[in-house]
Amino acid sequence: MASLALPLAAVGEVGEGFIQERTGQVCQQKPSHLFCWDWARENIDRYGTPTLQQLELVAISVVLGFIVAFGLALLAHRRRWLRPPLLAGTGVLYAIPSISFFLLLLPITGRSRETAIIALSAYTLQIIFRNVTVGLDNVPASAKDSARGMGMTERQVLWRVEIPLATPEIVGGLRIATVSTIAIATLAVFVHAGGLGTQIYGEANLHFPTSILISIVIVMVMAFFFDAILLTIQYFATPWRRARAS
Amino acid sequence: MSEAQATSESQPQPGASSVSYEGASKRYGNSDALAVDQLTLEVPAGEICVLVGPSGCGKTTAMRMVNRTVEMTEGDIRIGDESVRDKDPARLRREIGYVIQQIGLFPHRTIAENIGAVPQLLGWKKERTRARTAELLELIGLDPELGERYPAQLSGGQQQRVGVARALAADPLVMLMDEPFGAIDPISRERLQNEFLRLQAQVRKTVLFVTHDIDEAIKMGDRIAIMKEGGKVEQYATPAEVLMAPATEFVEDFVGADRALKRLALMRVADIDLWEAPLAYVGQATAEVRAKLAEPDVEVPYPLLVDGERRPLGWLSERDLRAETVPARPDSPLGPLLDRADVMRDALADLLQGEAQYAAVVDHEGRIDGVLSVEIISEFLKSPEAKTEEHSAVERPHG
Repeated sequence: MASLALPLAAVGEVGEGFIQERTGQVCQQKPSHLFCWDWARENIDRYGTPTLQQLELVAISVVLGFIVAFGLALLAHRRRWLRPPLLAGTGVLYAIPSISFFLLLLPITGRSRETAIIALSAYTLQIIFRNVTVGLDNVPASAKDSARGMGMTERQVLWRVEIPLATPEIVGGLRIATVSTIAIATLAVFVHAGGLGTQIYGEANLHFPTSILISIVIVMVMAFFFDAILLTIQYFATPWRRARAS
Repeated sequence: MSEAQATSESQPQPGASSVSYEGASKRYGNSDALAVDQLTLEVPAGEICVLVGPSGCGKTTAMRMVNRTVEMTEGDIRIGDESVRDKDPARLRREIGYVIQQIGLFPHRTIAENIGAVPQLLGWKKERTRARTAELLELIGLDPELGERYPAQLSGGQQQRVGVARALAADPLVMLMDEPFGAIDPISRERLQNEFLRLQAQVRKTVLFVTHDIDEAIKMGDRIAIMKEGGKVEQYATPAEVLMAPATEFVEDFVGADRALKRLALMRVADIDLWEAPLAYVGQATAEVRAKLAEPDVEVPYPLLVDGERRPLGWLSERDLRAETVPARPDSPLGPLLDRADVMRDALADLLQGEAQYAAVVDHEGRIDGVLSVEIISEFLKSPEAKTEEHSAVERPHG
């Protein structure tokens, strides 16, 4: 049973019945048989809740990560000396192997959704921070000079000139962060936070990958969906970039 | 001071204030050297003062101390009666137009939004801003439809015009222009300079204009402050004075050896006595034209073909005159066509570029006024008049 080298905290949710269901009458287990349509048809409703949980985890984590990283980037924009330490700090977080990050948090925050959200948000920081910083750096100096010269306060320069002009990079960071969070969020199952991981990391799936494949497809559709939304937002938020081509 | 400036000063300047530097200095950090050294000069309301000098002479710093984008370390600058030190920098800057070489339009805002930027900061009502924007687009000669475009969709010249319009939007007391035409190709630059002078004739702002180009300074300035490394003003005078009587060796070197030629930049075609060409009309008997040519005091040896409105069409050749009547299509093209209001230096350039000896000069309605020749110009340059007398052409902007 414990042939899987993962901590099988999640397996409890799936249980013995699950394995039987899969190897029962509906679909015979064959090594060559990667995907069992009959099983998929009969069990598709078991993915509803995990998908919603996954969506929720991703949305909360990305929004939280964005708020923190954006705030830090603005801080580092004003106080340049903060940039190297912040870049290094978020970089270290990003470098922690994902599963170990979740497990490291376990003793502190326990098996909870919060644990998953903390870890997932932490992973977005580096990408968003870096992109916001680059975006603000790329704002033409002449636009800032004329903004100050015409009497904008520093705050007005930031919100009316710098941030709008950094939008493409900021949204670009959000897109990468969102897609990677959607993928990593499957690991939330190891801290009992639900999500599609519940349908992926089960011992039975080693011999019967149908559920893994279904989950992957859902994750990919989700990633595609979020990316499309963000691209649409960027499209409407940056009309001047389209004008350039015409 | 020339007569012309006296007249311009006698006019009231409701929308402009004088700018007085009172011993204003700038030292960057702990540097030993001053960037601007005890600058004291007064720019009367409604005049263009050009700060000119080699790079590193502190001209831009001197200009930027006015809107406090550079804070002076000593002394004071007054706009009208008020010290710039007494105002909040952001508020101060909203009363001062600002144009820079890189233009600095906001790429994410439409042309209309760019022009309306300062009114927006001042909290104008939308209607008022919109009306003002439309007015300015017309003033700078841009199609109102361009108001909806983004800066990247405009040419460099159009963008620079928008930059000037944006600076004028809230009717500032003073305009600061930092090498505004420096990044524009020479041909467009000349057009933009002329346009700005025409604009200035209407708006009469007090302008501080920074350039490293002495020719531009001579052309644009009512007064020129020539600065030297270390932020010292070597001479502050009218362009004519600077050319005729350079105060120091530095000024003489900076102005260059071709001072007489440069004075052409201060004259307009209308300021010189033009020659008269024998005029010929389409269908006129060529015998009559030949008779005119034979007159003893004829100044131009070629007949100029004009239409019924006396608008020049071209020059008639010997072969044209061999026919019975004057043909509708002359043998030689018109060549360079000058306007009475053209600056003499540009007119000479047109003559040389067109490899023409003569150029027809027309008035503002396009009717023939006379003929300018290379000879007239070279006679003028040789005359003592060129070195001594002031010319009415210093009266700029003309209008």
